[in-house]
Amino acid sequence: MPDFSKILESCNPSKNAGKALLVLNAAGMIFAAISNTCAAAVDKNTSKEDKKFLVPAGAVTGVANIGIYYLMTSKIIKFLQRAAEKIEIKDENVLKFIKKKIDKKSKGLFKKDDKYIQSMKDTFFEGGKLTDAAIFEGKNLTDAARLDYKNSLKAGTGVLGAFIGAVVGCAVLTPIIRDVSAYFVQKHREKENPSLEEKPYMPYFDPSHLKPGQLIRANKKPLTMKNYMAFTNSNNLKV
Amino acid sequence: MRINSIRQQQNFKGGAADTALNFISKHQVGIAGLAGASVVAQKIVMSSAEAVVSPAIDIGIGEVITKATNEKDNRTRQSSKTQAIRTHAQAVGGTITGVAIRALCIFASTLLMSKLGEKAGSKIADIINPEKLSSAQNLYKYKENAEAWGKSIGGASAILVMMFTNFLLDIPLVNYINKKITNLVSKNTSNDKEVKNA
Repeated sequence: MPDFSKILESCNPSKNAGKALLVLNAAGMIFAAISNTCAAAVDKNTSKEDKKFLVPAGAVTGVANIGIYYLMTSKIIKFLQRAAEKIEIKDENVLKFIKKKIDKKSKGLFKKDDKYIQSMKDTFFEGGKLTDAAIFEGKNLTDAARLDYKNSLKAGTGVLGAFIGAVVGCAVLTPIIRDVSAYFVQKHREKENPSLEEKPYMPYFDPSHLKPGQLIRANKKPLTMKNYMAFTNSNNLKV
Repeated sequence: MRINSIRQQQNFKGGAADTALNFISKHQVGIAGLAGASVVAQKIVMSSAEAVVSPAIDIGIGEVITKATNEKDNRTRQSSKTQAIRTHAQAVGGTITGVAIRALCIFASTLLMSKLGEKAGSKIADIINPEKLSSAQNLYKYKENAEAWGKSIGGASAILVMMFTNFLLDIPLVNYINKKITNLVSKNTSNDKEVKNA
C-alpha cells in the first residue's frame, strides 16, 4: 500500500510550491496522454491499420513530452531556488511583502475577516500592531515574518520556475515534437502504403480530425499523373 | 552530501546565474507573492501561452516543412492551419473546463481540510495538522495550513475528476469551438476571395 500522506506531502505547496505544481501538472499530462491514446484506440472513424501506428505513436509522443517537460522544469526550479537562497533578506522587503499580504485579505472580493487580519498582525508584528515606525523601518517585525518571507521567496521562485517550464514545455516544445514527429511518421507510412497519401500530416494524433468534413484536402487533389489515372479509372466517371 | 551542497553553492556563478540573481533580487517581493499560487494559476498561464504561441508554431513548422521539402501540393501547409485552429480550440476549451474543475476541487478540499484539521483524535488531523494548530488560538497559521492542504488534495483530486471530464466535457466543447473557428476562418477566406475576384 503506497504511503498517501507522503505522496500528498510532495504535492503540498507550503513545503515546495514549485515541485507541487510540477508533480500535479505532470500527473495531469500523464492522464491526458492516456486518455488521448485510448481515444485513438477506441475511435470508430479510425481504421485498424491506422490504429497500429496511431496508438504507439501517441504513447511515445506522450512519454517524450512528459519526460522532457519534467526534467527541464525540475532543473529550472532547482536553478532558480539556488539563486533565491543567495538573496539577502532585508526588513524593508519583508515589510513590503507582509503589508501586501494583509492588504490582499483586507481588500479582497470576499467579506473582510477582521479576526483573521488581526491574527496575521499578531503573527508578523510584535504587539500585533502595524505602527508608523514599523511602516518605515520594520522595527517590530517578528522572526516569524522574516521566516515567512524567506520561505515565500523560495516557494515563489519555485512557482516561477514551474510557470516557465509549463509555458516552454507545453506551449513551445509539445507542438514542435507533435508536428515534426507527425510529419515523419506519416511520410514513413506513405512509403509503405501509398493509399494513405491523402491524409493530413499535422493532426496526426487526434482521431477527431479523421472524421469526414475535417479533412480539408478531401476535394483538393493536385493534378498529378497518379491522380489523373485514378480519376479516369474511378466508377464515378460518366462518359 | 553537505560538502557537495556547499560546493554547488560556491559554483553558482556565471552569466545565467548572475542574470537570475539580478532578476530575483529586483523583483523579490513580487516573486515571493507567487508562493501561494495553485494549479489554477498554472493552468491559466500555461493555456494562455498555448492558445497564442502553439498555433503560431504549428503554422511556422508547416511553412518550414513545405519549403524545406519543396512540397508542391501544399498539403503540410494546409493541414498545419487546421492543426493551428485545433490547438487554439483545445487550449481555450481545456482552460474553461480545467480551471472550473480545479477551482471547485480546491475550494471543496480547503473547506474540508479546515473542518477536519481540528477534529480531535482523528488520523487525518494528525497528518494534516501535526503541530496541533487551532483556529481559536492561531487562526492565520491554521488557515494557511488548511489552504495548503486544500490546494494539494484539491489539485490531486481534480486530476482524477478530469479523467472523466476529458471525455465528457472537453472533447465536445473543443469540437464545438473548433467548428466555430473553422467556419469563421473559411467564411473570411471566401469573402476575401470574392473581394479579390470582384
